[in-house]
Parts: sequence; C-alpha cells; structure tokens
Amino acid sequence: MAKLLDKQRYKCALGAMQTVQAISRAIPILHSGPGCAQKLSDSIGSSGYFSPNIFPCTSINEKDVVFGGVKKLETTIENALKVIDADLYVVLTGCIPEIVGDDTGEVVSHFEDAKKPVLYASTAGFKGNNYRGHEQVIDAIIEQYLEKTDEKEEGLVNLWADVPYQDLFWLGNIRELENLLKEIGLKPNTIFGYQRGLENIKTIPKAQFNLLVSPWVSVGNMKKMERKLGIPYLHYPTLPIGAFETSKFLREVGKFAGVDDQKVSKVIDDHENYYYYLIERYADLFLETRVMAKQFSVVADAQYALAITKFLVNDLGLVPAKQFVTDDTPKQFREAIRKEFENLNYGLKAEVAFETDSYKIHQEIKEHDYHGYPLILGSYYEKELAEELFGHYLNISWPVQDKVVLDDFYVGYTGGIRLIEDIYSVAVQRWN
Amino acid sequence: MSYKIAIASTDEKWIDESFGSAKRFLIYEMTEDGYHKLEERIVNPGSNYSAQSGCKSDSGCESDSGCGTGSGCGGNQAASEKVLLVSDCRCIVCKKIGFNVRKQLERKAISSFDVELSIDEALEKISFYYSKIDKHQSLRGLRKE
Repeated sequence: MAKLLDKQRYKCALGAMQTVQAISRAIPILHSGPGCAQKLSDSIGSSGYFSPNIFPCTSINEKDVVFGGVKKLETTIENALKVIDADLYVVLTGCIPEIVGDDTGEVVSHFEDAKKPVLYASTAGFKGNNYRGHEQVIDAIIEQYLEKTDEKEEGLVNLWADVPYQDLFWLGNIRELENLLKEIGLKPNTIFGYQRGLENIKTIPKAQFNLLVSPWVSVGNMKKMERKLGIPYLHYPTLPIGAFETSKFLREVGKFAGVDDQKVSKVIDDHENYYYYLIERYADLFLETRVMAKQFSVVADAQYALAITKFLVNDLGLVPAKQFVTDDTPKQFREAIRKEFENLNYGLKAEVAFETDSYKIHQEIKEHDYHGYPLILGSYYEKELAEELFGHYLNISWPVQDKVVLDDFYVGYTGGIRLIEDIYSVAVQRWN
Repeated sequence: MSYKIAIASTDEKWIDESFGSAKRFLIYEMTEDGYHKLEERIVNPGSNYSAQSGCKSDSGCESDSGCGTGSGCGGNQAASEKVLLVSDCRCIVCKKIGFNVRKQLERKAISSFDVELSIDEALEKISFYYSKIDKHQSLRGLRKE
C-alpha cells in the first residue's frame, strides 16, 4: 500500500466508476460520501449521456455512519432504476460504508429480479488503487452476470487492454488492437467505448479465448474467467507499439488462435513495408545525433513504461536509462515485469524501479547522467523537471494536463508512427 | 468525557417527533459509566422555531407544521430559540429535521440525527460511535458490535 498523498499517479479503487462509465449505457451507483465522484472525475472525455455529475450516490453522512446507510442505498438503487435509463447498474462502495460494515452485497441481492442487471463491486479506497478497482468491476461482471456456455463462436476473442480513462489512449488503443486482430481473421469482442456495452458483455462466454494485453492489470480476471467460464487466455504482457513488438504480438496471437502462418505473415509484411518506408524517409532526421536525446526515462504505469521502453529501444535504437513504474504494481508481478525490461534487442537491459514517490523519482532522474539532455516521457508532474533539465518531454501517463486526446492511439504500427511524430515534434521544436 | 444529547420524544421510549413540532426535549447525559436522563427542557410556547431575526410577527410562520424550514432560506440568520435551547448538547436526535435548522446546528458544531428508533437503541449506537471517535479508534465493524 502506498503511503503518499503528494503527486498521486492513480486514484482510489472507487475510480473504477470510470471503468463502468466506459461501458456504453452502464452507470455506477455510488455508495459513498458526496464528494467522492467529484474528486475522482477528470474532465478527460467523461461527459455525455452519463457523467460523474449525475451518478446516483447515497451521499452518506454522519447519520449513516452511526445508524447504517443500507436503507438509503436501497432507495437510491430503487430510484436509479426508475429514473435513469441504463442497461447495466453497478453499485460501487467507497471507504466509509465498508469500514463501518454496511452489507452492500445483501442490499444489492434484493435487486436480483429487477428488469435491468444490478451488480456490486467492492471498491473501498483502502483496498487499493483504481487499477485494482478496475479489476473488481470486471470480477463483479464475471461473478454476478456471466454464465458458462457450450455455444462457442470460432475465432471470437475477448480483448482486454488498458484501464479506461486512467490511460489517455484507451479508446484509440483498443480500437486499433481490434483492427489488427480483424486483419488476421479473428473476431475481437470488447466491452469498452463507443457502441460496446451489455451485448458485448453477453458475448464474452462464447469466445474461443481471452486476450489480455497488459503486464499485470486483469490477470486475475483472466484466471477467474478460465475457472468459471472455461475460457483459456493468452497473456501478452507488452502493449505492442511499433513494428517490432506488433509483429511479434500478431505472430503470438495467431499461433495461439491457430491462424494460418502465411496469413499472419502477409498482414505483417504489408504493415512493415509501409512502416519502414516511413522510417526510411525520415532516416536523416533519426540519424542526426543532435536532435534526439541519447538516453531516455519513462515514468508511467507498468503498461506504458514497458511498452514505450521496448519501442524506443527496439524500433528507434535509443538507450534506456532507469525506468520508473508508478502504478503500485502488486509484488507478485514485479519480477516478471522486471524480466521483460531486461529482454530488449541489441543485448540491452533497462533498469526499472517500482516507485510511487515522485520525490525519489525526480531525485534519481536529476542525479543520472543522461550524457546531455534527457528524453522524459511521463505524467504532467515530470514537465517541470524536464524543463529544469532542459530535456525533451512528452506527457503520456496520468495525470495529463497539456494534451487533448479524443481517439488517438500509440498501439500497433500506426500508433508507433504517431509516437515517433509526437516525440520528434518535441525535439525539433527545440531547434526551430 | 461527558456530554449531553437532546431527544425529541413524546413517550420517552421512541423517537417520534420532528424537531419543529417538538414541545420539549429530553436531555440525556452520557458519562463513562453509561447514560441517564438528566432533565426535560420545555420549548417556550411563544417562541418561534425559525430564526429569531425572522418572522416574529403573530401572522406568518407560527405553526407547528414543517420542520424548521419556515422562513425561506434563512441562511445567515441567527439561531432560533429552539436551537439555543439545546445548544449545549453534542447532538440532537429526532424523527425529522429541516435543512435550515440542521445548518444552524452545524454552525454550532452540533450533529443532528433524524431516525425512527427506540431511545435506547439510538443512544447505544451514538455512544458507541462517539466513544470510538473520541479515542481516535477505527470505526471498523461498527455495525457488527
């Protein structure tokens, strides 16, 4: 459990209300104090049909602490069902009702026969951050809604990647991953974003397998689905950015799904040809040594720290300094992630620190010799630091304050090119 | 630490009156050894439960109906006589309570609980809650104990 309040890089588990919001026509019902949703909502694409300002909330106060808030919860759910036209209602608990012991699960069980599904996920802040909250919501869907089926659809793959809203590029990324899977002949099924909702959730049990693209978030969900629904899973720990990783990703997925090798190779070749055509055209820029920093550091969650490190080394040939993983990664996953950081091309290895203390991170970056100005990809907190060090800086992880992303993405071949464009735009601005 | 709790009840058994309609308040004292009834405080029949500086006239909000929301928003007005009557208590327990009165009490750091329970049950829960927070102990498992 992290101890810091300063420069937080994630939210409490109740931040999973954004995971619910990312499912079309699903709405969270909050059993929490009145300020929670306000504090947790970002203005990064969370307005619309449902927004944090209208999430039903029990707004519990001192009275509910002393005498219990279950009655209020019951009426809040009842009325939410009456006045809000949604497909799925997910009750999320904050810290207070969980500490004093409101039996939320029992109240939610009264709504088993409601016309619309009402689920419950325990997302008390003391149980972890919003990465864990995200897992809790998906667990709730698996445990309380999905049923095992023998009816399987050939080639259907449930695709899981980023944590919605926590990751700036979640929407664009998942769509691009879908496109890549479609190209090798698979039928991807995702539950987040535009036109993805309850129908997609209902489709989950029919899938041939689950595909998780993330170093650790949702590994537990995959295991749960394997146990309950009998769906095997492929865990691909690196978000594929750029040609090297994306081709590797497609080959591995193709092999797991039993797709014809030649078909996969054809897709890869087509993409790589165009990708390297672009790289070649700009080779003079990439080879101009003054433009780019000699070494780089990424300060981000495990997903992005790993993905971008691999991309910058394998595709752009940059040299990694120390990398910082800031998502409070559970201990049992750290060793495997560390190994991934050591598995880079050209025999390179990147040192990685699992650190949530921004002071220590900034101190280490300041003390490291980058052999010139550094390239720092991180959250908004690194902006000032980069300015101080006269480094190149790109905001790629939460919190994001100087970038607007609607459906842009960094994943895949095209995403790699986008990231190159962004990084080199920063670099050339210095010289022009 | 001892403190007082004001309760609105007609039969000294159940919390069955709203703050606005209460003709009297039962004052209980909470000590280390438990609680006991200390006294009764009778509401002055001429007094108005809305703010003193508000409608003092004979007409207007003299009625017993409602629960303290008599005079519009009442936001910055002084506390009503009824609030002053219980202003040495730590909390008020009644069946219902209006927004304005609640705000007036909050300004004096007095909590208000609108519940329909027996007096004993309410006092037990409140005393347990205050004993925990006074000792800076966790409220974990409040419901189960």
